[in-house]
Amino acid sequence: MIDKRLLEILVCPLTKGPLIFDQDRAELISISGRLAYPIRDNIPVMLEEEARALSEDEAEALRQQHQPA
Amino acid sequence: MSDQDQTHFGYQQVPVREKQERVRAVFDSVADRYDLMNDLMSLGIHRLWKRRLIELAGVRRGQRVLDLAAGTGDLSARFAEIVGPSGLVVMSDINAAMLERGRERLDDAGLMGHLHYALANAEALPFASNSFDCVTIGFGLRNVTHKDWALAEMQRILKPGGRGLVLEFSHPTQAPLRKAYDLYSFSMLPMLGRLVAQDADSYKYLAESIRMHPDQDSLRDMMEQAGFERCEYFNLTGGIVAIHRGCKL
Repeated sequence: MIDKRLLEILVCPLTKGPLIFDQDRAELISISGRLAYPIRDNIPVMLEEEARALSEDEAEALRQQHQPA
Repeated sequence: MSDQDQTHFGYQQVPVREKQERVRAVFDSVADRYDLMNDLMSLGIHRLWKRRLIELAGVRRGQRVLDLAAGTGDLSARFAEIVGPSGLVVMSDINAAMLERGRERLDDAGLMGHLHYALANAEALPFASNSFDCVTIGFGLRNVTHKDWALAEMQRILKPGGRGLVLEFSHPTQAPLRKAYDLYSFSMLPMLGRLVAQDADSYKYLAESIRMHPDQDSLRDMMEQAGFERCEYFNLTGGIVAIHRGCKL
C-alpha cells in the first residue's frame, strides 16, 4: 500500500501533471502523459521506459471519468 | 538532441541513449556487494563523508527529504530518524536492484512508517514543485547523463527556503595526494572489484567516471545555472570528495 502522503506529491515525471491511482491494476495513470506507471512491491516505478502506453480510447474514458464537475 | 550525440561512460564515448542502460548494468552487477565494496574502497571513510552531509543538510523534525540515487539507503535511514513520524523521507533510485536491496536492509533495521520508496530518474523527477525541504544526491550525480537537467529538477521540487546537497567524488586539491589517489583508484580499485565483486570492469568504470566529473568550481557554477542560490562547497579528505550545497530562495 502506498502512503497517502507520498501519493499527494507524486506527479507524472514527463508532464508534471496529476496521477490517478488505480488500486486494482496497481498503476499510477497520467492522462496528460498518456502513460500508466506500474507499482511493483508497493514501490511506484516512475520511469517512462517501464510505463504502459494508454490507448486513445482508454485515455478518453479516463478523461470523461475524471473531468472536474 | 539527436541519437548520434555522444556522452562519456568513464573514458569511453557512447551514444547518449546508451549511457543510462550501461550505468544500470554496472549497478545491477554491483548491487549485492555494494555496501561491502564501499567500505573497502573508501577504507570506511564514506561513513564520515555521509555524516558530514547530514550535518550540512540541517534537516529538522517534521521536514520532508528526498534522497536521490539513495543506493542502499545510508542517508535515508539517518534522515528518517531525524524527521520522525511527522516528517517524510522518500528514498529514490533509478535502479530497482539497488532500491530493493536498500529496502530489505532498512526494513530489517525497523525503519518503516515515514520512509517511502520510489523508482525515479533524477533527470525527470515525479514530484510536484515545492514539495521538499531538502534534496540530496550522494555519489549519484556523476552517473547521470544530463547533470544540468537533474540539478534543475532538484531545484524545482524544493520548497522556497529548501536546500539541495550533492555529495560526490571530486578533484584532490594537492598534487601529491592526486598522484597517490590516481595510483590507488586505477590499480587498487579494479583489483578490489575483481576480488570482492568479481567485476573489475564495473569498478574501472567507477574510477574513470570520477575523473570525468566536473571539478568543485565547475559543479558550483552548474548549480547556480540550475537556479540554486548561495552555492558553496566543502572539500572533504583533501578534495577526494566534495559536498556542494545550494538554496532555493
